[in-house]
Amino acid sequence: MGERVFVGLSGGVDSALAAALLVECGYDVTAVYMRNWSRDLPGFKCAWADDLADAERVAVTLGIDLEVWDCEREYKETVVDYLVDAYAHGLTPNPDVMCNQTVKFGTFAERAFARGADYVATGHYARVRHGEGGRPAQLLRSRDEHKDQTYFLWRVPADVLDRTLFPIGDYPSKAEVRAACAERGLGVERKPDSDGICFVGEVGIRTFLLDTLERRPGDVVEWETGRVLGHHDGAFLFTVGQRRGLDLGGGPARYVVRTDVGENVVYVTADRSCPALWTGSLVLDGCRWVAGEEGGACEPVVRMRHTGALVSARLEPTGDGSSATVRFFQPVRTVAPGQSVVAYDGEVCLGGGIVSPRSYESVRPPFEAAAQG
Amino acid sequence: MPGAPTPWDGKEVSREVYLDYAAATSMDPGAVRAMEPFLSNEFYNPSAPYAPARRAHAALEDARASLARVMGARPASITLTAGATEANNLAFACVDGEVVTDAAEHESVLAVAQARGGVIVGVGPDGRVDPDEVAQAITPRTELVSVEAANGEVGAIQPVRRVAAVVAAERDRRLRAGESCPILLHVDASQAAGYVSVAVSSLGADLVTLSAAKVYGPKQVGLLWSSDRVRLRPLVLGGGQEGGVRSGTENVAGAVAFAHSLELAERMRPQEVRRLAALRDDLEGRLRREFPWCVVSGPRQGRLRLPGLLHVSFPRLDARRLVILLERRGVYVGTGSACAASRMRSSHVLAAMGVPDVVAQGSLRITLGRQTGAEDVAYASRQIAACVRDEMARLSLTDDDMRQAAGGGA
Repeated sequence: MGERVFVGLSGGVDSALAAALLVECGYDVTAVYMRNWSRDLPGFKCAWADDLADAERVAVTLGIDLEVWDCEREYKETVVDYLVDAYAHGLTPNPDVMCNQTVKFGTFAERAFARGADYVATGHYARVRHGEGGRPAQLLRSRDEHKDQTYFLWRVPADVLDRTLFPIGDYPSKAEVRAACAERGLGVERKPDSDGICFVGEVGIRTFLLDTLERRPGDVVEWETGRVLGHHDGAFLFTVGQRRGLDLGGGPARYVVRTDVGENVVYVTADRSCPALWTGSLVLDGCRWVAGEEGGACEPVVRMRHTGALVSARLEPTGDGSSATVRFFQPVRTVAPGQSVVAYDGEVCLGGGIVSPRSYESVRPPFEAAAQG
Repeated sequence: MPGAPTPWDGKEVSREVYLDYAAATSMDPGAVRAMEPFLSNEFYNPSAPYAPARRAHAALEDARASLARVMGARPASITLTAGATEANNLAFACVDGEVVTDAAEHESVLAVAQARGGVIVGVGPDGRVDPDEVAQAITPRTELVSVEAANGEVGAIQPVRRVAAVVAAERDRRLRAGESCPILLHVDASQAAGYVSVAVSSLGADLVTLSAAKVYGPKQVGLLWSSDRVRLRPLVLGGGQEGGVRSGTENVAGAVAFAHSLELAERMRPQEVRRLAALRDDLEGRLRREFPWCVVSGPRQGRLRLPGLLHVSFPRLDARRLVILLERRGVYVGTGSACAASRMRSSHVLAAMGVPDVVAQGSLRITLGRQTGAEDVAYASRQIAACVRDEMARLSLTDDDMRQAAGGGA
């Protein structure tokens, strides 16, 4: 019997193939369905029972045990509450980043190791270079650049990565993952890709937030002129760069430049080249480095969104290393506060940080200056 | 890896055997033919005034009369509903006071009773209600007692007449004491129809629920019979159809098919009960010979159990895995109530019977029906045996382990 692996089985395509590959490699595999959320939202039935049934089918096909672990408390406290709190403060969080840190590579990994697992495994598109001779493990982008999920994994520490397997990280494409599932008769190969926040599902974040936070009507204001163009249900519902859902009754397409949850104002512009939609630097908080400590100022490539473009920048850690400043050689589109900026040296993920609202503190609406002048 | 099942390949399936008739039945071809005109040429709204619509109205009332005939009741006392769940809800809606029911009822009764803060009496280890316990649970404020005619999960046929006697005694007492609070008996006979008599006089009830879907009729069609003593109160308001109790354009096609299928089920009842009981006993015997430690739930006496139902548990195994393995061999069975299974909850009926979790989790509810033949039973028993052996091997469990786990249970 090979080494013991606990694999997270979600009922989806990726984790199904991950589990199958582990079995084929001769590992002693136990599958775990993490039940993180089972509440139905208005107009959306949480699919957990269906997902569990799919996971069960995969486990039976592979002849492995499936356990259901209740992670609802951890998920609620570290992902859902974090998400709601961040939105309430005008940020646009990445809940997947937190889920990976605290649930999948937190609670799940801890419990698995306590049960005697040599490794934990998931169906993430990523790769690990396990540490040798005292060097920490490294997180690498997946072979399929279009599916790479390291953008969501930058807060997973090296010591957990060292005991982690990503069996499908070497697959060249999602199509081949599906084909490999079909070949093995796992029965999930036609399931659609899941996207968005799993517990919010199809209702979308807006419905979820309005169900959780109080509706707070306010003004939509033109960035350049200060003119009130319309109204909104709460500045916390909007994110920088957003174009849809403004409901301004026609006119040109407008983009959200800034949200101010304190004053409950959403600033918009019709000018795509508006200077406030671009920035030359970002301030990061909550920085984590996969290797454990920051390695001083460097010039990595960074990415501001999942599978977004990799751009060169200069990274300067500040203070105790939990903050940093990223300076771009070319201005980039503004990134909503709360989003992750992830740094890479070649294909190695170095870590990252969370965009601070301080990034944009000095940029004020032009009409304010005009009024003062 | 020891006991890894051989990967499934299509060639293994030599037969498809459906053994989940308590979850759904196919429609009787005659019932399909009977309803077809009302889906096409005779589509008229039975409330409309012109001649073709009057034909639809007449067909609806003929269907109601047929249903009434089978139940030995008056047509006007039958309210057609969209299934048994609605009929059960409608029954409870006719009283405001306390309700008493038992822990093995269908979810549609339990959920309503619980929402009303009702008293829920336990059941014995065989799944049967004890009429004395019902008597003890009744208070002077109890307005409704609800007991199903037969349980759909372990197949226990309930002592409805004895419960009816308890209710009648309480009614008598109130009459003599000059108490004005009424008390009614509701019987959900959905799972029993076709296997025991649904004549309202033999049930001794004031309200009776039936479902078309359990007697080879269409889904979402059911009825609530009520005695003259009862004043039903509508849950669905609107155009005032069904005597104002159940608004909404009548489902003429559904009613016609329901009448056809209930009549047929009643006609076939004597020979079907004998035939299915023999097949079920054959299946039970085969499984018991292969696995002497398997746990069969429900009343021991054949006449107290639904004839086509076998509830069998394989301790320490996971029934949901067995269902998947059996599906690959062309055999479709249930894991207790399909309603509970879809929510991944363990069975409330088995919990009420005191069946330990280690036994309950390995439970299959196997229900035979009109299309089941001796060959099907033989094939299914072989496949069940093979799947159980596969899972035992995968988990390195011996017959001794299973015997021990079962002994810790029953």
